[in-house]
Amino acid sequence: MNSKTLLYIVKRIGLAILTVWVVITITFFVMRAVPGGPFMGEKAISPAAQAALEAKYGLDRPLSEQYFTYLKDILTRFDFGPSLKQRGRSVTEIIADGMKTSVKLGVVAAFSALAAGVVLGAVAALRRNSVLDRAVMVITTAFVSMPSFIMGSLLLVLFAVRLRVLPANGTTGAGLILPIITLALYPMAYITRLTRSSMLDVLGQDYIRTARAKGVSGMKIIFGHALKNALIPVITYFGPMLAYIVTGSLVVERIFSVPGIGRAFVQSITNRDYPMVMGTTIVLACLIVVMNLVSDILYKVVDPRINLE
Amino acid sequence: MKKSLALLLALCLALSLAACGGGGGGTAGNAETTPDEEPNVAASPGALAACLASEPDSIDPALNSSVDGATLIIHLFSGLAKWDQTADGTLTISPDAAEALPEGVPNDDGTVTYTYTLRDGLKWSDGEPVTAADFVYSWNRAASVELGADYGYMFEVVKGYKEISEADDDGNPVNPDAKLSVEAVDERTLTVTLSNAVAYWNELLAFPAYMPVREDVVADESWATKPETLICNGPYTITSWTHDSLITMEKNPNYIDADSVTMEKLEFYLSDDENNMLSNFQNGSWQLIDDVPTNEIPKLKEEYPEQFVVTGQIGTYYVCWNINEDILPASSELTGVEAENAKAEIRNAITLLFDRNYIVNDITQAGQVPASSFVAMGMTEPDGTEFYKNAGHNDAFAGYYDVSEDAIESNYAAAVETLKKYYTFDDATQTFTDFPTLTYLYNTNEGHKQIAEYLQSALAGIGITVNLENQEWKTFLNTRKTGDYSIARNGWLADYNDPICFLDMWTTASGNNDVQFGKGDHASVAAYSMDLTPYGYDINVQDGTWAQTYDVLISTIKACTDNDTRYQLMHVAEDLLMSTGCIAPLYFYTDLYMLSDSVEGFYSNPLGFKYFMHCVVTAYG
Repeated sequence: MNSKTLLYIVKRIGLAILTVWVVITITFFVMRAVPGGPFMGEKAISPAAQAALEAKYGLDRPLSEQYFTYLKDILTRFDFGPSLKQRGRSVTEIIADGMKTSVKLGVVAAFSALAAGVVLGAVAALRRNSVLDRAVMVITTAFVSMPSFIMGSLLLVLFAVRLRVLPANGTTGAGLILPIITLALYPMAYITRLTRSSMLDVLGQDYIRTARAKGVSGMKIIFGHALKNALIPVITYFGPMLAYIVTGSLVVERIFSVPGIGRAFVQSITNRDYPMVMGTTIVLACLIVVMNLVSDILYKVVDPRINLE
Repeated sequence: MKKSLALLLALCLALSLAACGGGGGGTAGNAETTPDEEPNVAASPGALAACLASEPDSIDPALNSSVDGATLIIHLFSGLAKWDQTADGTLTISPDAAEALPEGVPNDDGTVTYTYTLRDGLKWSDGEPVTAADFVYSWNRAASVELGADYGYMFEVVKGYKEISEADDDGNPVNPDAKLSVEAVDERTLTVTLSNAVAYWNELLAFPAYMPVREDVVADESWATKPETLICNGPYTITSWTHDSLITMEKNPNYIDADSVTMEKLEFYLSDDENNMLSNFQNGSWQLIDDVPTNEIPKLKEEYPEQFVVTGQIGTYYVCWNINEDILPASSELTGVEAENAKAEIRNAITLLFDRNYIVNDITQAGQVPASSFVAMGMTEPDGTEFYKNAGHNDAFAGYYDVSEDAIESNYAAAVETLKKYYTFDDATQTFTDFPTLTYLYNTNEGHKQIAEYLQSALAGIGITVNLENQEWKTFLNTRKTGDYSIARNGWLADYNDPICFLDMWTTASGNNDVQFGKGDHASVAAYSMDLTPYGYDINVQDGTWAQTYDVLISTIKACTDNDTRYQLMHVAEDLLMSTGCIAPLYFYTDLYMLSDSVEGFYSNPLGFKYFMHCVVTAYG
């Protein structure tokens, strides 16, 4: 790694911090501008109790003061504050609980999708126009175009209700199998198609022809030259995809009742649980920014021709 | 460099393979830890699995305000009284931590004092004794301003509540040293003084807010979020808690009536997705689910006739008008009291246009009962009859208008006749031409939407244009509360079996006064009369404002110690409320759940709390 690359990375990290700060600021003020507050319910609490609660959580102070106090707390103490809705639990605790499940779900789904997608895509490209290739293309087209709530519901009805071989509820380890499959199918299909087209492109390149002409063995061409270069677009896709799966699995979490971060995030907005909204937004924003950064850096590592500047 | 590239790729593939195996590995691990759990989908033997809703905001008895949270709390805590089911299936309130529930002794100043003796040998789940002082502490805590509990007002009946609940604008208590009038005479004797006799006092004693907590336990603010810190005194303790997912309770050996608890273990799954609940019920994993997808109801009723249960729940689904909304035609010259009376007549006519039978039979489909009065079905009078049947003072039907299917045509004709007095009716099209456009506000929800669309079409039939506006929950609450609407969807569930909880919400200062009675322009409208002299009060107001009539009436009811008179006054209050036409009741709620036929000994109360401690599960899967 040369100094130019290092400089680039430092610059990118600076930009990432700036991005997260902008996200924090916008979310903070937009959330407060939305009508309704955390202590509002179908049955109204007394004005006295409302005032007492607002004083307790500092919501009675000027908005700018609350904003700077919040920034200070997360910077100096890494403290996201208490949840206003789930009394007695801290935001950090709730996010940690949710992330544990979401990360497990997302990472397993993403790597399964990567493994299956690369293999299927490579095979389809090598056996171009064969029955196998066509079958893979048809199936992946179906998976790419089918929304996850339909796929999830189908799997749920089939495996949990009709066949009764897997639980419908994501509480237990076994209960995570169906959500993982549901989450993995779309990226798997996408990676298959990506690998296939990029592999076909690479196989037609001059350097592959040259290698063939020089008598390099078929296997070596595929693994040593073709696949390696064909995977570059897959790698760029993988980072953001991982972040997307971890953060955007809300629908799947609902269908299978998985206690993940997506559900906690949406609930916190409905509840106007301000510290919780801020906490989840920050964590998710960081995750996306970091994954994008990692994939850009990987890109450079895999393909030295790419100039990061 | 090439080597490192190859390594990287290999690593990537290896990781993906490992990840692939990871999914399977997780399953294998799970099978190892619970080898008996076969097949995967069945509930663990000896346990009863239920899903009521997603995780409640709190299961601290004082802080909880949800029905599902209350169900969890009654399994963990034991108050002075409890809901019990007798052998013949009727529900009663019986003593729990108290030896008996004696009558109160009236004092000279009109207050009433109750003295309770705690049963000998009451223990917390950590073995410490439960004392009268625990109750004193818990009740003062629950009612305090500092705690800011939603249900703090449940202690309104106890003497001293007013002093303890007052706060200045900054939320600091006005009387920091004030206490409720409840005292621990000794370790096992508790006295409590109520401002006046309260018919539903025993019921309050069985309500979660009245259940005891221990001072040293609740000092840790997170006490009610972890199994290890949640010290309780009821039939069960929490043994494991995966937040937002599963609460497992096991029988509490320190509970005084532990012998009567038949279910060793309860599993409360925390989810609010009805489709997921139904899947888990259908595959035999869960024995009770508290909600089902609305569109599945007709099919479920047919497929599970025994297991699809509909019971009464004390609550009313209704439409409320903003009393300050001008609905008179632009040409109208009516002002002041005349305008208000005309608006009341118009609103009361419009409510006759709704076919409540269509709503309950074709839209909600869960056995709801068409409503024509506001105080819900299930509220009983001192003589045991239903309050709603006596409402409206009509012999031919219950309530303020006839909502039977036979009356639809006559209601419609009557409504049109009334509206003709104020609006231009076009005989050719049979519609009104100058009714101002209305907006119906509801919160985003498929069921509410279907009802909104029906109301829209019913009014469109006579030329009234209604625009539908849906808002996200808290935005909706805020809009409704501030009165920034013309008509809105509304609903109210009772907290205890006394009609006052439906009536005191409409006083001017009430936080639930969504109609805006006595607020804005309505504050000065002197259009209401009431004569309480037949009931022995020297109160007779003619052409008074809302504050001079309804507010006075509610405080009179709250201070009334004669139960029969009190109920008569509550009918007067409902008459006054309904005369405004601002409340258009649509139906009385029901509680709908699915209960496996392998469960015996289950019951629920009219507030929707569900009792599992005396259940037996005869078969699994």
